[in-house]
Amino acid sequence: MNRQNVRIALQGIAGNRLRSALTMLGIMIGVGSVILLVAVGNGSAVSIQNSIDSLGTDTLTVFAGGGFFGPGGRSTGAESQQITLTAKDVKNLEKKYNAPDVSALSPVDQDGGVTASHDGSTWTAGSFEGVYPSYASIENEQVRSGSFISEADLQEHAKVVVLGTTAVKSLFGSASDNPIGDQVNFSGTTFTVIGVLKTKGSSSIEKLDTTALIPATTMQDHYTGTSGGYSEIVASATSPTTVDAAKSEITSTLASDHGLTTTEASNDFSVESASTLISASTSSSHTFTVLLGAVAAISLLVGGIGVMNIMLVTVTERTREIGIRKAIGARRSDILGQFLVEAVLLSVLGGVLGIGAGVIGSLFKIVGVQPVIALYSVFLAFGFAILIGLFFGIYPANRAATLRPIDALRYE
Amino acid sequence: MRGALSSLRRMIDRPDPAPEPGSSPRAVAGSRPAAVIDVRQVTKTYALGDVAVHALRGVSLSVERGEYVAIIGASGSGKSTLMHIIGCLDLPTTGRYLLDGIDVAAMSEDELSDVRNRKIGFVFQSFNLIPRTSALQNVELPLVYGGIRSSAERLHRAQRALTMVGLGDRFDHQPNELSGGQQQRVAIARALVTNPSILLADEPTGALDSAATVELLDIFDRLHTSGRTVVLITHEADVAARAQRVVRLRDGRIVSDEPSLQGSGERRVTLTSEMSPV
Repeated sequence: MNRQNVRIALQGIAGNRLRSALTMLGIMIGVGSVILLVAVGNGSAVSIQNSIDSLGTDTLTVFAGGGFFGPGGRSTGAESQQITLTAKDVKNLEKKYNAPDVSALSPVDQDGGVTASHDGSTWTAGSFEGVYPSYASIENEQVRSGSFISEADLQEHAKVVVLGTTAVKSLFGSASDNPIGDQVNFSGTTFTVIGVLKTKGSSSIEKLDTTALIPATTMQDHYTGTSGGYSEIVASATSPTTVDAAKSEITSTLASDHGLTTTEASNDFSVESASTLISASTSSSHTFTVLLGAVAAISLLVGGIGVMNIMLVTVTERTREIGIRKAIGARRSDILGQFLVEAVLLSVLGGVLGIGAGVIGSLFKIVGVQPVIALYSVFLAFGFAILIGLFFGIYPANRAATLRPIDALRYE
Repeated sequence: MRGALSSLRRMIDRPDPAPEPGSSPRAVAGSRPAAVIDVRQVTKTYALGDVAVHALRGVSLSVERGEYVAIIGASGSGKSTLMHIIGCLDLPTTGRYLLDGIDVAAMSEDELSDVRNRKIGFVFQSFNLIPRTSALQNVELPLVYGGIRSSAERLHRAQRALTMVGLGDRFDHQPNELSGGQQQRVAIARALVTNPSILLADEPTGALDSAATVELLDIFDRLHTSGRTVVLITHEADVAARAQRVVRLRDGRIVSDEPSLQGSGERRVTLTSEMSPV
């Protein structure tokens, strides 16, 4: 009996190919866009995740003032009693009994608006930072040529600089140029280039290749002075699993050194780990994905309304046929089944085509994001399409089934 | 579950066995069986806008098994309405209609569907074949609704019915590829495929030319001869003349009910000798 319903429904669909195709197109676009847009959202989440991973999952950053994501916010002046991160703080944190889970530390002493020049070319440094030699291992920086800042450079307050690729390109004309030993002038002070950093890839994370790094001691001598303190301290935990322990050790050490209570500490400085960044970016990309999915779901709903519309037209058009079927013994359930199966078939076929379209579409980069198909979205969209067929098919099918045979037969 | 139910349904509502081929309808009539169609004081009123239309104003008609009855009347006389009530396509406003002794008013919608499927074969003036569907599939359809699960059996029975009406070579033709006479023969095959005891025909020759009309009436004669109850509506006297009994309707009432003048008795004898029974 059910097989007969399917056969009759298929005949109905085949009887008006163009109309059936257009109806299926509506569902196809709906299902396809749900799959594709969720894949785009998912893909951007994956790429953010990857770039965060490349920064090192065991990295911690200490900010003066409330954190990015903590109460108060980084730049809120009122409650935030910014502490000064000093070389003494770094020394204290380096002591194993204070922070046993911290393996390396480096201050990041930033000076904004510094212009570099070399042989007539100028370049405004994206980030001009004074750091310790350990910075390289903490931030996963590697030199392409030359060497990184050494302990001796730090002790001697040496005027040496390690440049990012973009800096090399701007100052020396070509990114592949080897400027080791050349002199670069940073706002009046001349530095010798001792190394060039490896490119960290096309990641969108800030300051990757536009960096110029000098010893932290030299930075204080010539630019920031000893009174201002560091803008950040970066640290790495002994392993990714000890990040949280390292975070609380840093927090309590800094709090006691500066004579702060825990509540005050959370306002006056903050310690962020990559995992904080990950969870923040995951939640924002999740919101992004949900929004995209919702937009697509609306188009799926519109497709469903298309199915209902067409089924209503079909029922009206085939009223006489319904009358004939009833006259030769079709029960109400037979007619209901026939039209319901037809509606569901339309949306299932549309759904299958939509999955195909979504999968093919996600092979291509969309606005710079390589979509990554989320399996759940395929099942969700397909299941939703079937439900839509059922939901929007029931009313027209029921209308057909409850027609009185004599009225249906008389219908012209 | 559904399978068990439908097989149970079939056991209870087994289609009436076909009467013995060649058995004399006279003999059946002589044994005075209960009327297969028993219409008692039936009225039917339609609301057409604000106007109430009295299509039937108290009709009583009793048809016995194996009878061949023609209902004639001008258009608007209520003959089609009567036919729809007899065919369980419509219900009377007042009065009773007993089909095989069972009051139709007491039946549920599904029971009425099953009655239309098993006991009644309906032939319409406009053929009413399902478009874009082959002759064979059209004929097979009542068997589908009748719960015959074996497609081989459905196919076999549909082929037999089509062959019986002389369309053994037109199985795969769609309605629009057939002439009017052929379409009407497909409709008859579809009406007969479930082996119903009653064949109702609403102006079956109305849309046919004279040659096709003669062919069709010959088929009805053969069906009658084989013992089936045939009720047909017509407004053509020569068509009515083939029947045993002519009921004349005017303004929703029966004005005459008498044996056909030409009587089909002699004709039937000649026909049975000429044609092999169905």
